[in-house]
Amino acid sequence: MLTLYRWLLYLYPPVYWREYRDEMVSVFRDAHTDASAGTLRDRISFRVREASGLLAGAVREHVRIINGSDQLISIRRFTMRPEFRFPRSTVVLMLIIFAGVILAMEKANTVQVAYAAGADSIWPSTPWFFGLVLLLACASAVAVWGLLFALKRTGADRLADIQPGPNRAD
Amino acid sequence: MEPLPLTEPVLLVLLSLAEQPRHGYSILKDVERMSDGRVRLSTGTLYGALRRLLDAAWIERVKEDESPRDRRPYRLTSRGRRNLQLEVERMRHLTKLAALRTARKEA
Repeated sequence: MLTLYRWLLYLYPPVYWREYRDEMVSVFRDAHTDASAGTLRDRISFRVREASGLLAGAVREHVRIINGSDQLISIRRFTMRPEFRFPRSTVVLMLIIFAGVILAMEKANTVQVAYAAGADSIWPSTPWFFGLVLLLACASAVAVWGLLFALKRTGADRLADIQPGPNRAD
Repeated sequence: MEPLPLTEPVLLVLLSLAEQPRHGYSILKDVERMSDGRVRLSTGTLYGALRRLLDAAWIERVKEDESPRDRRPYRLTSRGRRNLQLEVERMRHLTKLAALRTARKEA
């Protein structure tokens, strides 16, 4: 168990494990001795706690090195310009919209091919037709909602509330 | 700088060191004792908190030549003690407010 723990410590950035490895191994050894004297449940919970704590700690330290800070808030947003921040959710919404556009293009292509081949009907049945209309309506609603949500997150809706300031005499 | 309000593990680590300098295992056991076994820190969580507190200069290593490398004690700095007092004061105010509000509701 101790050997495995030593190996897992290599998941941390080198600068971290060089500094804390000896202490962490020593504390782990003592805590492991305590847990070994307990019930099976104690031993299992100790192992789960140590494994999750170690993995979470390693991720946090790597993020800190990449991010330069412990504050994960700074990676929750994409900074485009120093004075303008883009919400991360916008990326997801834009991907959904992009997928919707690709789907629509693909469907249009299918319709065109079906007409060119002289097919009697491009809609196999009425339920299919209504289903497709419903799907397109939902996709459109999601796209519109996504755009409005993204605009709201950027604060664009507050522009209308801006009051003209007093004229500066300079 | 450790953001306020402090998380419970960090607060308990600071409270543990407020009493006396301690090394890692001693902090681990003291935190468990203080919380009646409710908070059990893993070594990863403990050393993550200690590293952040060291970086923020809220704690420091006690320079003891005779202490082995794997059992180095930590202690609160004056900055750490001041911030801990601020946090305790904030919690006291919150508890007082909560007691007042809940008492008013029951009356």
